[in-house]
Amino acid sequence: MAKPTRQITTSSTAEYFSKNLQQVGFSSPTKAVLTTVKEALDNALDACEDHSIAPEINVSVEKIGNGSLKNTDRIKIRVEDNGPGIDPADIAKVFGEYLASSKFGRGRCSRGQQGIGISAATTWAIQTTAKGVTVTTKTMGQKKAVKCLVEVDIKHNKGIIREKETIDWDRPSGTTVEFLIDGRVQLNGEAGLVNYLRGNVLVNPHMSITYTLPDNGTTKIERVTKDVPEIPEAIEPHPHTMKLGEFISHARLFGKIKSGNWLKQGFSRLNDKVIAEIWKSQKLPKALLDKSADGLNEKELSAMYAAIQNAQLMPPSTQSVMSIGEEALSLSIQRLGDVDFFSVISRKPCICDFKPVQIEVAVARLKDRRGESHDEPVQVLRFANRVPLQFDKAACAIVKAITTVNWRSYGIKQPRDALPQGPYIVAVSMVSPFIKFKNASKETIDASDELVDEIRRALMQAGQKLSRHINKESRANDHETKIAHIEQFGPILIDGLVRMTKADEKRRENATEGLRKLLGRDAFESEKALKVAKEQSEALDAKRHRIKMFREEDQEMESREAQKLAAAESEAANESSAEDSDGDVAVVASKAKSTTKKKTTAKTIKKTAKK
Amino acid sequence: MATRTPGGNPHRKSKEDKVILEHSLELCEKMLKDLENGKRPKLTATKCALDNSIYNSKVGFLTPGSKRVSTELNVSSVKKMSRAVFMLEILLRNIETGNVNTKRELYYISKGEVKHSKNLKALDFGDQDESDSVVDFICEMLECYREEMNCFANDRGGQTYSQNLIVTERMPDGTEAVIDLSQLGTSPFQPKNRPQNLTLKAKKKIDFCLVVESEGTANTLVANGFVKRHNSIVVGAQGVPSNAVRGWVKRIQDQLAVPIYFFGDLDAYTMQNIFRTLKAGSAASLIRNSDFSAPDVRFLGVLPEDIKKYDLNDYPVNERDPQEIRALKKARDALSNDPFFKDKKNKGLSEILHWLINNKRRCEQQAFYSVDPRDPQMAEKIILEKINKGHYV
Repeated sequence: MAKPTRQITTSSTAEYFSKNLQQVGFSSPTKAVLTTVKEALDNALDACEDHSIAPEINVSVEKIGNGSLKNTDRIKIRVEDNGPGIDPADIAKVFGEYLASSKFGRGRCSRGQQGIGISAATTWAIQTTAKGVTVTTKTMGQKKAVKCLVEVDIKHNKGIIREKETIDWDRPSGTTVEFLIDGRVQLNGEAGLVNYLRGNVLVNPHMSITYTLPDNGTTKIERVTKDVPEIPEAIEPHPHTMKLGEFISHARLFGKIKSGNWLKQGFSRLNDKVIAEIWKSQKLPKALLDKSADGLNEKELSAMYAAIQNAQLMPPSTQSVMSIGEEALSLSIQRLGDVDFFSVISRKPCICDFKPVQIEVAVARLKDRRGESHDEPVQVLRFANRVPLQFDKAACAIVKAITTVNWRSYGIKQPRDALPQGPYIVAVSMVSPFIKFKNASKETIDASDELVDEIRRALMQAGQKLSRHINKESRANDHETKIAHIEQFGPILIDGLVRMTKADEKRRENATEGLRKLLGRDAFESEKALKVAKEQSEALDAKRHRIKMFREEDQEMESREAQKLAAAESEAANESSAEDSDGDVAVVASKAKSTTKKKTTAKTIKKTAKK
Repeated sequence: MATRTPGGNPHRKSKEDKVILEHSLELCEKMLKDLENGKRPKLTATKCALDNSIYNSKVGFLTPGSKRVSTELNVSSVKKMSRAVFMLEILLRNIETGNVNTKRELYYISKGEVKHSKNLKALDFGDQDESDSVVDFICEMLECYREEMNCFANDRGGQTYSQNLIVTERMPDGTEAVIDLSQLGTSPFQPKNRPQNLTLKAKKKIDFCLVVESEGTANTLVANGFVKRHNSIVVGAQGVPSNAVRGWVKRIQDQLAVPIYFFGDLDAYTMQNIFRTLKAGSAASLIRNSDFSAPDVRFLGVLPEDIKKYDLNDYPVNERDPQEIRALKKARDALSNDPFFKDKKNKGLSEILHWLINNKRRCEQQAFYSVDPRDPQMAEKIILEKINKGHYV
């Protein structure tokens, strides 16, 4: 007798991810610790940048006992920021619900995109220690902070809040998350926590961070610029990056709107003129543009789609990418250690595979690694939207680009088809609203030819800049060996000749004198070459120094203005606090939430004050 | 006062020795004078490379062109020059006393000198390659053979058998040694690195000389009675011919005026490295090819047509063996760059190279033993048939 067909059930997103945590970075106890820190830190930085707050981050990772899993420790991870805080109504969504995101598919260069990571971290915490995440948060207008424990309701993909309380908190706004998980701490090596945090330090010059790691003490790194990167507005999708199905659902999303307007508003690079041209050349009926976008049938949409795909369009705008900037990067790279010399390159944004991309490169030589064996490959730091990538590096576009550049021509050792060698850091940051990752845990950038070429161009420019320093050094070495040669071999040569020809002392003296003159001339030549190389590199340093001076002046002026502004604001705030002493926390909070992303902190303060 | 050899016999310097000593002293004297006058001393040597090789079929061996390499004293070359003078002193001392050394021994002698004299420390050779290149440089500069500087390599190859050959050797102390090869029993005669000191005489007219690539095969032929049946000389080359073999074959050609045939494998390596060197010398030894090549040597085989004619077992070139692939690549280069293979006179040989490149097959000399496995004299019979019918290149 045939078996009865099994019932087909639908499972929730949370159920899926809770069973497949390895897909989102929780494949091992070691990776679990790193991913948890990473998700919390990414969220903190994104939130600060959204509200133009210069981030002050405090990370602590602490071993507090043995874990329940084999070979693991119980680990407390705490990440604290001075961001805008989270609306109490949103806490459950943020930490306990999968795919709940303020950033999904916006076409912006934020670190987080889908809203999976932090919920996955909560799930891991519950699975290993049966305890969710403890969140303490306070938005700008709130008098007191909210502290609660968030868990995931796997069955319904919902966050559950427990033990909610309000507490006093000594800061205007911010969020602290605290996870208790089972895991293992790896500090060093490419996949280590230190590497991850240092990577963040490099690409976030505006961030101050204090981190405490097990057996590593506390490290405090100050920001080197106050400029919070301005996050460019999102752009609409480019029609050539869409597939037919996406195109059709895009139309349905827009609802009752003339399809002509839908095309103009829903896509970038389509305007009246372009649409008219397409309609003319592809002989589409004009009436189609007046129809409602959600009233178009599939045949009509397919015809429109085909026509647009066949048309020549301008590539997407590059305005939606953001950069760290050469200056900020040069300041930031010096936070990584005792840097001997470095070069940074910030390429102009460009289009790769029809997506706007910007590549920035920093190459530095570290003094403290100079004594090490020079056969070690360079340290590669990879960043995608300013998030350090630490796993699966071999297949990554960045590594592919580094290995295909000929570093030997810049004076850096490099075996064939491999990473260059020596005490260098090669950091490559790629920023794009649409990065093609190879996997869901965002660890490897897909290596398309166009992208690899763009990264190579940046690396080659950085290499050329760097070679000036290396040139100076090799000239100095050259000069030294030449002098040493003269001193060592000159007398030996003359001794030999004198012995064999049985010459007298007088001839020996004459020959010694002659040799000194001859080789002295050579030494002079090599000294001259060294001088030229030195001058070149000094000119470079002087240029850099000038830029720094200008910058410091600017900063001074800015800080003076900011002080004035702050004084004015504190006056205004004093007045308003008298009027609004027992205002409703919730109302203020929702106001804070409604403030747009681009408004500065100062503006937010003003607004609250006025109210 | 005559210097004494290590053996205690008085050492008489040969004419060549005197020329070298004189030439070397002149060179040192000039260098010292240049230095006294504040002028840069310059050492020049013949460029020993294929691009400076000239082949004229009338001359018969590779001769040097006009290209010279010169080293002028400057900060970069002061090390090389002081090393050259240092090594020259050691070599001249050997010529004075009649002492000989191998390159490896010279390496250790120089190390010893450095050990006993602190101010020479900078000259110390890191490995033998470094000291070898200095010895070679000195030879190229003085345009003499390494053997003339009393620096000998291991006497490899050249085992010779004959029933009718008498060799007279002039010894360093002026005495003479006479060797009748028919009196050596099963032992071969083996020439030393300086065959110029040998004089050859035939007891009875010798018909031909056979140079066999494999010394083992040469031994087999002789053991089976080759030299008893034929008035001949059989020489085993043992791979790429050493100076001893090259000079020895040249001696046989010049003093006995007998036809010489080379019998070896059919492959690119044998053709270019072994046969070409035997017949016309090599690019690395341009300055001494005149004494170390025998232009009259003919290539007896294995020839491409022999494979079909005798139904020999051949096999394809192993494409995975880097050495074989390199040899084929070199063969292609040789056809376009090597003046020896480019010469019209050697068309037959370059055709064999073409055949090897196109067919990518090779056949070994020992394959002659597959023709009639029960007849131990089969290889001998084929060789004789080829010589008599003129089947050689």
